[in-house]
Amino acid sequence: MDLLGIALAIFGAAMAAGWAGAGSAIGVGIAGESGAGVMTEDPGKFGLVLLLQALPGTQGIYGLLIAFFAILKVGLLGGGAEVTVNVWQGLAIFFACLPIAVGGYYSAIAQGKTSAASIQMIAKRPEETGKAVILPAMVETYAVLSLLMSIILLNGIKL
Amino acid sequence: MAPAEQYGYAVARLRAMSGRLLEEALLLRVLECEDLESAIKVLGETVYSGWLMELKGIGEFDKAIEAELLHVFEEVHKFVPDAALVELCRLPYDFHNVKVLVKGTLLVREGGERRFDLLTKLGNIPVDDLITAMETEDYRLLPFGLHRLVPGCFTVWEQSRDVLELEKLLDEGLFEAMRLGAEASGVESAVLWVRARIDAENVRSLLRLKRMNVETSAAAGYLHAGGLISKDRLLSVFTEPPESWAKLLAFADVSSILSGVQDGADLNATVVGLEKVLDEYVGAVLESSKYDAFAPGNVMSFLWKKELETKNIRIALVSVSNNTDRTLARGLFRHVG
Repeated sequence: MDLLGIALAIFGAAMAAGWAGAGSAIGVGIAGESGAGVMTEDPGKFGLVLLLQALPGTQGIYGLLIAFFAILKVGLLGGGAEVTVNVWQGLAIFFACLPIAVGGYYSAIAQGKTSAASIQMIAKRPEETGKAVILPAMVETYAVLSLLMSIILLNGIKL
Repeated sequence: MAPAEQYGYAVARLRAMSGRLLEEALLLRVLECEDLESAIKVLGETVYSGWLMELKGIGEFDKAIEAELLHVFEEVHKFVPDAALVELCRLPYDFHNVKVLVKGTLLVREGGERRFDLLTKLGNIPVDDLITAMETEDYRLLPFGLHRLVPGCFTVWEQSRDVLELEKLLDEGLFEAMRLGAEASGVESAVLWVRARIDAENVRSLLRLKRMNVETSAAAGYLHAGGLISKDRLLSVFTEPPESWAKLLAFADVSSILSGVQDGADLNATVVGLEKVLDEYVGAVLESSKYDAFAPGNVMSFLWKKELETKNIRIALVSVSNNTDRTLARGLFRHVG
């Protein structure tokens, strides 16, 4: 087993889980601050605020998913047969993890800001809840595209 | 200035608080009441109920309005990242208190009495501290440049014996303190807001002076520097008839409010109506903040709307109390969106 290849694959998995998770933490934090502001004045909006605050959290889950795929592929999980990963294959896995790492990080922050604005929107116009959920959900599209790309690239790597 | 991200909590809370600003429909209900008692009863359905219950008599409604505004100032001061923005909004009340106390001191010298009832708690400086400073003549610790202005007022009085000179000096000091405060806060919209307030005050002064047929040279002393339109530019239009001011100042936003000045002969009615338009003009410079979930301008915008709300309530209650023309009062309501 080529240790450098494995190391690169693990680095890719760590990037996917770490950056997407960090983006989600920032995004959920931004939305949470707005949520706390609204609930200080109107605690009855907890349900709606929670939904909007949770939206930027999905990127962290996507990153974790790709990290699992990556380490499963190199045989570090699942107790399967030992897999040989050369440097180029390790590098390929690393690059395959990048779309969700980068896309997840930035989209989670952007979604957090949109969620915060939507939370402010329902504070003033509770009747517009549907629209308030759609706006941050639009940002999710690009996180899903990043996830999809990472899955396709990982599946395309032959070990 | 605190980073914009820190405004997430504050702006969200202010958005929720703005839902409790009184709508015009409620103000119209107040206005339709036959007497002050029923008007106060309608107002009792709002956030003012707590303060109204503490009143000794319905005639003291102004205390309830002041208490609510003070409560909002103090509450917002606690959670905004830049407390200087709230201080900026409260600054005119400090200068109002100083005017009352300076004039009171002069009245006492002439054998009159002080009017402590005219003081307001809405300023940044505690009223007791201000009274103590005035009575002990120890102005050293007064902030916002008042340590220089107050002794300056007494000097000016000794030289001119003209209350208007004191007013001019203190107004100049107020706008200077507001400008410095806004610039120190680093909030661009705050600077713009102060400049718009100076413009509004200058336009108000110009129209009043025009109504009084004051000479251009005398009018110059009543204008304040630091607005979006220079003093020289404003003075150059002063000699022209008021109905042409909008065209002459077409390059500035303030021209939109002057477009309502159609008849130079009816300046009395114009000046009354202009108060409303000028207030809305000052608020309008902060309107773009509402499109940004993290803009500090939202803090000032909310506080300005709250002040306009209190003005609206005063207009409605005074109209009911004095049984004046309700249509006129309705026309004076500021838009609080």
